Amino acid sequence: MVNKITNNDFNGVKGSEIALVDYSATWCGPCRMVAPVVEELSEEYAGKVAFFNADVDDNGALAQSAGITNIPALAIYKNGERVAMKVGFSPKPVLKEWIDSVI
Amino acid sequence: MDRLHSIIVGSGPGGISAAITLKLRGKNIMLIGNKDGGKLSKAHEIQNYPGFPNVSGKDLNSAFQKHLEEMGIDIKEGRVSAIYAMGDYYSVQVDTEMYEADTVILATGVIAGKPLKGEEELLGRGVSYCATCDAPLYRQKEVVVIGYSQKEEEEAKYLAEVASKVIYIPVYKGEFDFPENVEVVSEKPVEIALKDEKRVVITDQSEIVTDGVFVLRDSISPGQLVPGIEIDGAHVKVDRQMKTSLPGCFACGDITGTPYQYVKAAGEGNVAALSAVSFLASKK
Repeated sequence: MVNKITNNDFNGVKGSEIALVDYSATWCGPCRMVAPVVEELSEEYAGKVAFFNADVDDNGALAQSAGITNIPALAIYKNGERVAMKVGFSPKPVLKEWIDSVI
Repeated sequence: MDRLHSIIVGSGPGGISAAITLKLRGKNIMLIGNKDGGKLSKAHEIQNYPGFPNVSGKDLNSAFQKHLEEMGIDIKEGRVSAIYAMGDYYSVQVDTEMYEADTVILATGVIAGKPLKGEEELLGRGVSYCATCDAPLYRQKEVVVIGYSQKEEEEAKYLAEVASKVIYIPVYKGEFDFPENVEVVSEKPVEIALKDEKRVVITDQSEIVTDGVFVLRDSISPGQLVPGIEIDGAHVKVDRQMKTSLPGCFACGDITGTPYQYVKAAGEGNVAALSAVSFLASKK
């Protein structure tokens, strides 16, 4: 399951040992393509990684403070600290390899 | 639209050859490219294409078009901006439309010219190849657009609707008709760099500080076109079956590497098509 972040509320991410945040927007094509992949990954990594989605329009302050300039941007956080970020669409095997290398 | 068997990206000899073979095998295809033959029609004289001694590029292209016509294959004109490997299938973005196919054959040719210094490093960190994707992130901000052809002027105009100011750097000669908040700077772009929170476009004459940089070329590198595909320099890695690193994605022609020869492209197109046919058979 991918938890939707609203009102710039980052507490869910901060409270997770490992979290992946998908910064995206409804108008962005690659975001729409990567969304189902992220959804599948959230099932495969259930219990290991907490998955979040932050719509950059609804969470402008959050996106700004994270320095998001291109989307989709997938960021991995450890106890609220960002440890890695990947911009753009990637196929599932590539994302899995990336997540495994980071966590 | 139903999911196609194959989408062929590029209508040079490789793409056309792949399309012909797939059509002969009864597959449902879409061939995307230019009807005018693009680069081929500009080729002076080709001396080693069997059956066509000393043929001009224009004449060879006419013969290709006739062959396609006789087989009922239409070339869909459009710009492919991204090909997404969705796992079971591919989503191909053509202009603003998305099309789905079980397989994709890359026959885009090879891109001449290198990326700007700093361009690839800053991609996704203030450098973008896609105005329609990232423009809304620059609402009320300043952006630089480096345009490699006249077509990109439309993209700059679109950005000007969102951004407060657009600086347009044309990498070609032309006359410009832009809204008031677009400034044309006719200098040669050299490098893109990061400076504090800003981006800097360094030209042969000046440094332009901005919030974001859009680099818009006619063709983008294969790694950008197909995110996640394994590349080798400017080329896509393939095996002898023309398989790329992504299952169901094949490549042929110049994009697979040298020699850049029309007859080699046509041969590889045939191999790529037959590999796609076996892949489709194995999926059932």
